[in-house]
Amino acid sequence: MQPSSVREAKTHARVRDDILGRMQGASGGYLAAVTFFGGVVAWAMFAWAYQIFGGFGHTGVRRPVYWGLYIVNFVFWIGISHAGTLISAILRLTGASWRKPVTRAAEAITVFCLLIGGMFPLIHIGRTWQFYWMIPYPNERLLWPNFRSPLFWDLTAILTYLAGSLVFLYLPLIPDLAEMAGQSSGVKRRVYSILALGWTGSARQWQALERAMKLMAIVILAIAVSVHSVVAYDFSMSITPTWHSTIFAPYFVVGAIFSGIAALVLVMAALRKLMGLEEYLQETHFVNLGKLLILMSLIWLYFTFSEHLTTWYGNLPREIRVINVREHGFYGILFWTMVACNFVIPFILLGISKLRSIATIAISSGAVLIGMWLERFLIVIPSLSTPALPAAWGGYAPSWIELSITAGTFAAMALLYLLFVKAFPIIAIWEYDDGISES
Amino acid sequence: MGFLKAEFRKTADAVLAIERLASAGIPKRAMELYSRRPIEGYPQALRRRSFISLGAVVSAILLGGSATALMFLIQRDYPLVTGGMPIVSGWATGVVTFEATMAGAVLGICLMLLWESGLLERRQGTPVPDLPDQGVVLQVRCEDDAEIVAAILDESEAKRVEVAD
Repeated sequence: MQPSSVREAKTHARVRDDILGRMQGASGGYLAAVTFFGGVVAWAMFAWAYQIFGGFGHTGVRRPVYWGLYIVNFVFWIGISHAGTLISAILRLTGASWRKPVTRAAEAITVFCLLIGGMFPLIHIGRTWQFYWMIPYPNERLLWPNFRSPLFWDLTAILTYLAGSLVFLYLPLIPDLAEMAGQSSGVKRRVYSILALGWTGSARQWQALERAMKLMAIVILAIAVSVHSVVAYDFSMSITPTWHSTIFAPYFVVGAIFSGIAALVLVMAALRKLMGLEEYLQETHFVNLGKLLILMSLIWLYFTFSEHLTTWYGNLPREIRVINVREHGFYGILFWTMVACNFVIPFILLGISKLRSIATIAISSGAVLIGMWLERFLIVIPSLSTPALPAAWGGYAPSWIELSITAGTFAAMALLYLLFVKAFPIIAIWEYDDGISES
Repeated sequence: MGFLKAEFRKTADAVLAIERLASAGIPKRAMELYSRRPIEGYPQALRRRSFISLGAVVSAILLGGSATALMFLIQRDYPLVTGGMPIVSGWATGVVTFEATMAGAVLGICLMLLWESGLLERRQGTPVPDLPDQGVVLQVRCEDDAEIVAAILDESEAKRVEVAD
């Protein structure tokens, strides 16, 4: 039997060479995927430009539905962004060693989703070039933003979350960037060396990094919860029927974690298949995340039931009308699809142990993402189209611009991920190595 | 002034060498361990007190306090039409105060990490050893005590001891 030190040496070199090796070159399929998703993003950019030059009237947003797909997508993407921070931070703080191959994929999701989700308020305000009016800065007209406005809260919360998530992704990348600088040459070496900030691997640096990561995990948890609470306040601070609810903030946070886990599972399944990471992303990682998914599914069901029961029992005419619109007719089909996607499918596929596999966990996650998008849609549209005054009732149909931009965001997510996995190791080499030596 | 470096297969052997060097009067500032991954069982002789949490708290209070003061002063000096609500609302201000406090904590952690880890620091001629795939490297800065350091390292379980350049 080999001494453990020799086994470790082989392991570190193999893990490093294996993970860095997968970043080299680009297959035809990879280039085709980048071209396809890049094309969809370019089309979405064209649609946005068309909206900017032609005016916001080109969208389907009009009285009484002032918030359309843009706000649905905003809430959806900000929700998914909770994958990285919460999963990575919670598992890091609880010392779960199985998190090691998972955390970077999750942290990257957070940053990309925030970049995408954070664009929607800018798109939605119409006159995008005047976005800086939201920022408090001294100006000659003595105009300041309204600090009581949830829109301003959104700005502060999302910017804080984006900054925190970038730091949370970047800090554990530093040792790997130094490793990559050592393995590359030319411009690549120079870029990675700059990004590595002069990392030498001294004990002083490791000690500081580990301390900083523990503190960041605590801070980022608080920020993540606050961000989706603030997104919920956008709704619950208004007197629109069914929005003025005290449980909206925790309900949104639960939904965010739920959809975040689902997105992480889907990304991991795609990475495992496309990059051949079967050795690193093992079935046990999917099963553990599947268990978290079913737990969140039950909590989501509890919140949804509580929200609907309270509204139904209160029997306020303006709220009951919204509930009826949401549960019957066209919206009713979407509502029951949402229940099936968020509860029935995960409950069957993940609850029965014989059915539990990577494929079924990925299918459940896909269903949850569809269900959670529908949930956001059903919170926004039926409430706005059925205001308290019946004379003001109206409908909503998204225009090609909104649909194009929506498709563009999904393509942007795929594109950013494709580019990221070729530029940075998707599995933290030093953390994975650490995991091996511990075992 | 010069540097001696010793490569160890096991961290425990390096820790033993550090303790011997420390008891021989070598200051801990002169010793540094290098590795490709975090060292478990970090030697007491090299342990430094961390001020990252303190920096995070101070920075959080500063930024959170500044944001709150900014909101208070602006709302008091340029009264907005609030429809009967108080000019300065504690509840509404609280959201922004919280976010600014957290942003301050993130900023504080980053700055303290850069300061405490010595990243971005000018190295002033300190050589950086090549790291082995296994084990750790102990590097010692020597003044007049080079012979003592060399003797202790030679007696230790080091795989090899050499002058660092």
